[in-house]
Amino acid sequence: MKQAGLDLGSVNTKLVVLENGERVYSQVIPSRFDSVQAGITLINSYVEKHGEKPEKLVVTGYGRVNFPEGRVITEISCQGRGCHAYFPEQMYILDLGGQDAKVIKKNPAGKVVQFIMNDKCAAGTGRFLDVILKGLDLTADELDSAAAAKPIPINSMCTVFAESEVITMLAKGTPKPEVIAGLFKSTAKRLANFVESVGHPECLIFTGGGAHYSLLVRFLEQELKEKVVIPPEPEMTAALGAALLA
Amino acid sequence: MDNRELWTALGMDLEKHDDFLAPVPAIFTSLFLDRPNRPNAMGYFDAVVGDVHGIRVHELYAQKEAGAKVFSTFCVYVPEEIVVATGSASIGLCAGAQYTVSSGEKVLPRNLCPLIKSTMGFKLDRICPYFQVSDWVIGETTCDGKKKAWEILNEHIPTYVMELPQKKDAKDARLWEEEVREFASFIERETKVNLTAENLAQGIQTINNKRQALQRLANLRKHKPAPIHGLDVLLINQLSFFDDPVRFAAQVNALCDELDLRVKEGIGVAPVDAPRILVTGTPQPLPAWKLHALIEQAGAVVVGEETCTGERYYKDVTEPADNVSDMLTNIAKRPLKVNCACFTPNQGRMEDITFMAENLKADAVIDFSLQFCQPYGVESYFVGNEMEKKSIPFLRLESDFSAEDQGQLLTRIEALLEMIRA
Ligand code: SF4
Ligand code: SF4
Repeated sequence: MKQAGLDLGSVNTKLVVLENGERVYSQVIPSRFDSVQAGITLINSYVEKHGEKPEKLVVTGYGRVNFPEGRVITEISCQGRGCHAYFPEQMYILDLGGQDAKVIKKNPAGKVVQFIMNDKCAAGTGRFLDVILKGLDLTADELDSAAAAKPIPINSMCTVFAESEVITMLAKGTPKPEVIAGLFKSTAKRLANFVESVGHPECLIFTGGGAHYSLLVRFLEQELKEKVVIPPEPEMTAALGAALLA
Repeated sequence: MDNRELWTALGMDLEKHDDFLAPVPAIFTSLFLDRPNRPNAMGYFDAVVGDVHGIRVHELYAQKEAGAKVFSTFCVYVPEEIVVATGSASIGLCAGAQYTVSSGEKVLPRNLCPLIKSTMGFKLDRICPYFQVSDWVIGETTCDGKKKAWEILNEHIPTYVMELPQKKDAKDARLWEEEVREFASFIERETKVNLTAENLAQGIQTINNKRQALQRLANLRKHKPAPIHGLDVLLINQLSFFDDPVRFAAQVNALCDELDLRVKEGIGVAPVDAPRILVTGTPQPLPAWKLHALIEQAGAVVVGEETCTGERYYKDVTEPADNVSDMLTNIAKRPLKVNCACFTPNQGRMEDITFMAENLKADAVIDFSLQFCQPYGVESYFVGNEMEKKSIPFLRLESDFSAEDQGQLLTRIEALLEMIRA
């Protein structure tokens, strides 16, 4: 039997299909302001390749309520379930997506017992880093050397103010790698506090697009003084969880 | 006099008023009237909303013509018994409309509780007939936002401020009793009616009857399946602040008779296993229906409100006494049992919440705080800890009166329901 999980995010839309519990398909495409359409496209291209629709479908994410088919489950339950598949022992999940950030606490059975979400303020979501890093026009080298640089403190945590603070620093001649390191460090600090408002994890599961920033992961470990683990394809875990719940 | 003549006589801005009320019938129809399974006795309350700026305002206007006064209050601590005893009217005016928030921001900081901004906006815009018909506002020193806003409001309508203590020790109780006595003299002066053992006993009785009717209604909600939607009860709680207290109590009791029958026959508005939610936190004044509507739209049922548009308003009554002085003492005692976050410490509130959650068989608690409300926002820390200790699933929500964040709120509410169903 095939089970599919479709995560209709505001930035990307993701599909995971399982056959007898094994992942047989996974695909991501940009949502381009219409996650429902993106979801339909994903399902269609799956059907083209595999001939038929999966028997079971769970839809989750921002566009879930508008999707014409499938059982609807929130991204919180799906994220919890998806992470549980990789890390059954760990209780805390930090998900840093494009438009929101959440902390989820699950119990040893994989059931969500507590969660908080930030989706009102861009600071503290993946958007904050994306906007500012984009404005900096980084090369791969610069990003690498940021890993060794001494982070300069960034005080503004509002995206708009932080952007102008960064511009001022660069204009004053502060080396770019130091500014970048500072950005990641201040974001990590904020995220660590966000996690600890739910509880102190012995080991944190980190998902969402934000988990790809290795420097952020390192600073997060420093701030929490604990280990941070990342599932393979960290932006796919909610879709995986949806498929597992289907 | 028809409504428009009345509104003109009250100096209202008719154009803005029309603009403000225009969307209300459609919203009210879809949230309330179109919902199946509502008790018949809701008809009275629906009619009150249907003519919300009409009949009751006419009554108040007529009362004034006959020499009485109208006092507007903004907090459940203000002793309405005293006002009612003199034959004048006490109406609760907390405002929960987004429409007037931006006007309020003309004179108030943006990062202030929307309830205060909405209230201020109603006065500045002259679109609330209750405000317009009022002679006085009775303020209190509860949160800092309200305390300072009275000074501005006083430029637009005479505002009398009662000093509420911030702790509940013996000396605070003494201060408060003195405040109540001073308030009583103020009301006597303003209304030119003296308080007597007879009229004050009557005032206490009238308000006690109203609170007891609301208690009876609240108590019916502990049954499974829930005999009435939380949204309907919220509406009644909201109307309790300005409807005529005697008629209102009779109508609430009539509703309770109908609900008694439902309970006996096992009839409910939601399946027996629908998740049951207790809402705690800041008040949801008329027409702030968003939270209850979303929770019930998601398939749960709200079984109680530990708020001032709920339990905090009616949970205690005033003990009777046989002379005016003892009556005033008892009137002062009642509010000090109310556990508002403006007090420190406020452990009693944690006990109230736990008791309600158990008594109402709640499956989860949603602690709601209006944006920028410091007392409840800070106290939410203790509510969360207490719920964790008692293993009661808990969700903290913060919002205002706008409609913009409904999707985001619904995601959280649905996730909470998945959590308790899993
Ligand atoms: S929340 Fe506190 S300040 Fe506000 S109405 Fe209730 S008792 Fe008064
Ligand atoms: S909700 Fe909070 S900030 Fe607003 S008036 Fe009440 S106590 Fe004050």
